[in-house]
Amino acid sequence: PAEVLGPGGETELADSVSSCRVLVVGAGGIGCELLKNLVLTGFKNIEVIDLDTIDVSNLNRQFLFQKKHVGKSKAQVAKESVLQFCPEANITAYHDSIMNPDYNVEFFKNFMLVMNALDNRAARNHVNRMCLAANIPLIESGTAGYLGQVTVIKKGLTECYECQPKPTQKTFPGCTIRNTPSEPIHCIVWAKYLYNQLFGEEDADQEVSPDTADPEASWDPAQTAARAGASNQDGDIKRVSTKDWARSTGYDPVKIFNKLFKDDIMYLLTMDKLWKKRKAPQPLDWAVVQEMAYIQEEVSGQGLRDQQVLGVKGYAQLFCNSVETLRSQLAEKGEGAQLVWDKDDPPAMDFVTAAANLRMHVFSMNMKSRFDVKSMAGNIIPAIATTNAVIAGLIVLEALKILSGDLEQCRTVFLNKQPNPRKKLLVPCALDPPNTNCYVCASKPEVTVKLNVHKTLVQSLQDKILKEKFGMVAPDVQIEDGKGTILISSEEGETDANNSKCLSEFGIRNGSRLQVDDFLQDYTLLVNLLHCEDLEKDVEFEVVGDAPDKAPPAPNVPEEDKNIANGNQDSALPSTSSKVPIEKDDVLIVDSDEEPSSSTMEAAVEMGGVKRKLEDVETGGAGSKRKRLFELPINDDDIIALD
Amino acid sequence: MLDTVEKEDTVISEEEAAQYDRQIRLWGLDAQKSNIGLHQRLRGSHVLLVGLRGLGAEVAKNLILAGVKGLTLLDHEEVTEESCRAQFLIPVGSEGQNRAQASLERAQYLNPMVDVKADTEPVESKPDEFFLQFDAVCLTGCPRDLMIRIDQICSQKNVKVFCGDVFGYHGYMFSNLGPEHHYVEEKLKAVKPSEGTSDGPDTKKPKVDPSETTMVKKTASFCSLKEALEIDWTSEKAKASLKRTPADYFLLQVLLKFRTDKGRDPQPSSFADDSTILRQIRDDVLEAQGLASDLIPDEFVSYCFSEMAPVCAVVGGVLGQEIVKALSQRDAPHRNFFFFDGLKGSGVVDYFATK
Repeated sequence: PAEVLGPGGETELADSVSSCRVLVVGAGGIGCELLKNLVLTGFKNIEVIDLDTIDVSNLNRQFLFQKKHVGKSKAQVAKESVLQFCPEANITAYHDSIMNPDYNVEFFKNFMLVMNALDNRAARNHVNRMCLAANIPLIESGTAGYLGQVTVIKKGLTECYECQPKPTQKTFPGCTIRNTPSEPIHCIVWAKYLYNQLFGEEDADQEVSPDTADPEASWDPAQTAARAGASNQDGDIKRVSTKDWARSTGYDPVKIFNKLFKDDIMYLLTMDKLWKKRKAPQPLDWAVVQEMAYIQEEVSGQGLRDQQVLGVKGYAQLFCNSVETLRSQLAEKGEGAQLVWDKDDPPAMDFVTAAANLRMHVFSMNMKSRFDVKSMAGNIIPAIATTNAVIAGLIVLEALKILSGDLEQCRTVFLNKQPNPRKKLLVPCALDPPNTNCYVCASKPEVTVKLNVHKTLVQSLQDKILKEKFGMVAPDVQIEDGKGTILISSEEGETDANNSKCLSEFGIRNGSRLQVDDFLQDYTLLVNLLHCEDLEKDVEFEVVGDAPDKAPPAPNVPEEDKNIANGNQDSALPSTSSKVPIEKDDVLIVDSDEEPSSSTMEAAVEMGGVKRKLEDVETGGAGSKRKRLFELPINDDDIIALD
Repeated sequence: MLDTVEKEDTVISEEEAAQYDRQIRLWGLDAQKSNIGLHQRLRGSHVLLVGLRGLGAEVAKNLILAGVKGLTLLDHEEVTEESCRAQFLIPVGSEGQNRAQASLERAQYLNPMVDVKADTEPVESKPDEFFLQFDAVCLTGCPRDLMIRIDQICSQKNVKVFCGDVFGYHGYMFSNLGPEHHYVEEKLKAVKPSEGTSDGPDTKKPKVDPSETTMVKKTASFCSLKEALEIDWTSEKAKASLKRTPADYFLLQVLLKFRTDKGRDPQPSSFADDSTILRQIRDDVLEAQGLASDLIPDEFVSYCFSEMAPVCAVVGGVLGQEIVKALSQRDAPHRNFFFFDGLKGSGVVDYFATK
């Protein structure tokens, strides 16, 4: 390959490149491009890991794969493809999750450097910690649409991936989902919850029935009886689980339809305070819908199936068909079976499309095509080959600096869609030093969490707080009570009996401290607990010091590609999350300590860990006079006198 | 040529929709008014790609994945042991074969929906009409005068012209989309609060609905390559703009002169001699324009040998995307140079024209 020369034509760098071992985490969009760049640059010893298999929608950019490979392991096929043009490369492929405990700190220590090519935050957090524990440089990157970013993480020298708190996934209040949806996304989230309630794992946080405790409805006790009477024929909504009720009807689509779109809606109508300032929903009756003619809006989107927007009758039919199909799927799996929602499973996607659209119609919203519903329900991030190609090129250039021992030359580089006011399309920025208060890389990480010790279960602590929020994979928790009481053990089964108990049952109260270890990540976190009884509705805990998770007001943002390139943030699984989807235009407003901006609002596009201002994304625009916070001049040439 | 897309030819199949799903979600299938989407235009375009070294291979991959109708790979050179390892389309054991021919099979595998062809003739020997059968022409590894000539032939007939090269850690792309390149940009509409119920009962506050967009028509003008390269830097006006001018522009002049004089690019096997020649050319070029020689510091020689693979990836990515944008006439094109400095990680877009 093209020789990698040092200044003066030396070949030490080339020797280093061909002898070192590197790890590539992910063999998708960035991963394919990265593997190609690495071997062409002369890297010989490469290990690549990816848990995913190839899908047809990957083929527009993951160029190491062809149609015949659909269904096969990405890591494996990537390796085989690369060997076609570079047979002397020594590549090891793992069809596995990087979070598997087999890949411990000792495993990571085998490598000179690690390069992430991931699409989800959980894995990024995990690799971040493993590289900190192994003290190995990590090159982190992300892309979404036209935008991309690369950065370098080195323990003690730079910020780690978790030094800056990342905004957590946007969630909607329960009453919005259950009672007063006002946007298509609310209906789509509702439909996904419904899928789980009927066919999947029932989750107490994913209720679909009307929420009688909605503070907005605030009806007085005298009206309780009237409301109870107006509820669906089959009895009090709350006492019977949705799944049990559905089972009792034999998953009869017509009965389910009428309960959801007629009876429950009629119940909502009795909560008249909700509809004083809102347009009231209009119930749908199956029989009435059957009388309608099939209306379809004009054929759109080149006649493609998924681009069509059906009418009410069309979606009612789709609802019915998908319920029947899913019912069969469930039956086939046997007793106590559960289905897992997957956007690429046609009946699952049909179901959500139909249910969401019917609800949209009920609440007077324009209905959406399957294509659009899939985007929102499936958290799909648009992707093209060229963005990944550029980012993967930048990754290797950073890698070369690291191998040369030139860490101080490493940069965070942003790829914009259009040049910024300084004509830069690719913007290098100096790396930030570590956050001394980082709850991951500080010498003795510590956090404070507010929760209700009488209501929070040990299971919730483990799953929602330690795993989801704090990114641990297998936490061990000890109470600092002088007795070293073990609350949670990562050993399977050891502390199962504790799961359904409240924290207070173990003597935990205001001011209690927990020592939490994840031995795989070599990570210890001290958790201070503050007992709090007046957290916001639907909020189970709060981390002191986090920016609030506000759903942002609609910004006047002209660009369409502001997706969070962290990907599907809540799980290590590829795009099959049933959690709340991120909206396409999810530009997050982060309150800034800086001087107030001259534009209407500051928006930060967050990706791969580093926030940047919207002005970096647009050509000109507001705020060109503002101090450029995240772009530090590299040399004098970069400073341009502002008028 | 681009304004007349036949409708019969442009119906997109379910199979294509599935393969291009992720880019359709980025670009949109339909442009509202004209009903001919970005994807349509791209799917009707024919592109000529000259040069199948590292950068050429990257551009080929990007265009084929994006889904042009046809791509002709033109290269008269033979595969050497070195070129085998320099790009990812040529399989091992192809020494002695023509480079374009050897790249063909793997290029075609990238996307069977694209008609990929190989042409083994030297580009210098092609008649003018040859270039006019294409919607866009991309020149890599070509000497300066040849690029200028082809640019002149093409721009007369509205064929989009692109040039690009990688020299070590440095790379550039140039584009000439003609004096009047029309394109559209998608702008999100701010939905005004209304009593209407188009998006829910709670439409009091202005919302930006991702599906409510409007296409804004724009025009950009480009000058010829000749004009872009033959700027007189001795004028007062030019001197004044020097501070804001990327030094890479002058580095390009030096490297193109080397290519013209030596018939090849600097190569590692003659590092010492080539370095000397490069510095001399640097002195000559800068002096002729009345510019200080420290505009390009001496160290530059160390970093412009060979095509570095990651630099090819970056430049090829930008160049590939510019070609896609120009063919589909969507989104503002970069005007008219893009320079990438792989040492700094900076990528700059700047406009160079005589006027």
